[in-house]
Amino acid sequence: MVDSTGGNNSDREGFKYHFSGTASVALGTDDQDAAMKQQDRLLPIANVGRIMKKILPPNAKISKEAKETMQECVSEFISFVTGEASDKCHKEKRKTVNGDDICWAMTTLGFDDYAEPLKRYLQRYRELEGERSAQQSKPSSNEDQKNKTTNYGAAETTRKTTVPTTPLKFNVIDRNNSPLPRRF
Amino acid sequence: MYSRILAGGRTGPHSLPLARIKKIMKKSGDNVNMISGEAPIVFSKACELLIEELTRRSWMVAMQRKRRTLHKEDVVSAVIATDIFDFLVNLVSEDSTTPIDLTPVEREKLEF
Repeated sequence: MVDSTGGNNSDREGFKYHFSGTASVALGTDDQDAAMKQQDRLLPIANVGRIMKKILPPNAKISKEAKETMQECVSEFISFVTGEASDKCHKEKRKTVNGDDICWAMTTLGFDDYAEPLKRYLQRYRELEGERSAQQSKPSSNEDQKNKTTNYGAAETTRKTTVPTTPLKFNVIDRNNSPLPRRF
Repeated sequence: MYSRILAGGRTGPHSLPLARIKKIMKKSGDNVNMISGEAPIVFSKACELLIEELTRRSWMVAMQRKRRTLHKEDVVSAVIATDIFDFLVNLVSEDSTTPIDLTPVEREKLEF
């Protein structure tokens, strides 16, 4: 799979931050490198803040420190779950951690409320990807359609009716939108 | 197929950058070898759910404390009060200087 090589754009934002507690403000080049690596292990504060804001009432405010703490928590969550999933793969002599492993690890670690919506999300994603690759293997020009000697993608004939125009648009329908979560 | 989704910085339809998620996954342990394309995508959703839940709980603490601004101490209290967030307790307590635990009354209200 294609890995990101241009990920440094979002890492630049690390220089604007005063790190509270864990890393000192950049002075020399070594510190700057450390600062960039620090940001590498966190998800962008803007994205995190946006998700937080979505949940809160319109007049609510979020302190920067609270967002930073949330960033840390999310990264720890990723490590925690990945570690569990990766151990499982290791035991089963598999090299690749896949979406099912992540879902399994969630359940094992107590996040069973997440597991169901995630499984559905994954299922939906796999369906869309299946349709997408079926489309990509279809002949693109009209000329080819005259010489239909090969069946390029077996799935294409059955899926022509549902061509997704917006890629991977997943609306969260599993959770109700009331301000009080259902488990409370 | 994934280049559109994983290209540097862009998140596409996901609210969290997949490449960054993948980086964090890789650093989580020595025995993390290969990661399928769908794993970061599952995580982008899972992280959203985590942020939503932790934010909701933190907000309840802030409200109990009669505030409309979410502070770090609210997040810390919510972590401590929630069993499944036990793995976060050490992380959030590390550099905390303010009292972080809930009063018995506050804790009572968060538990169910």
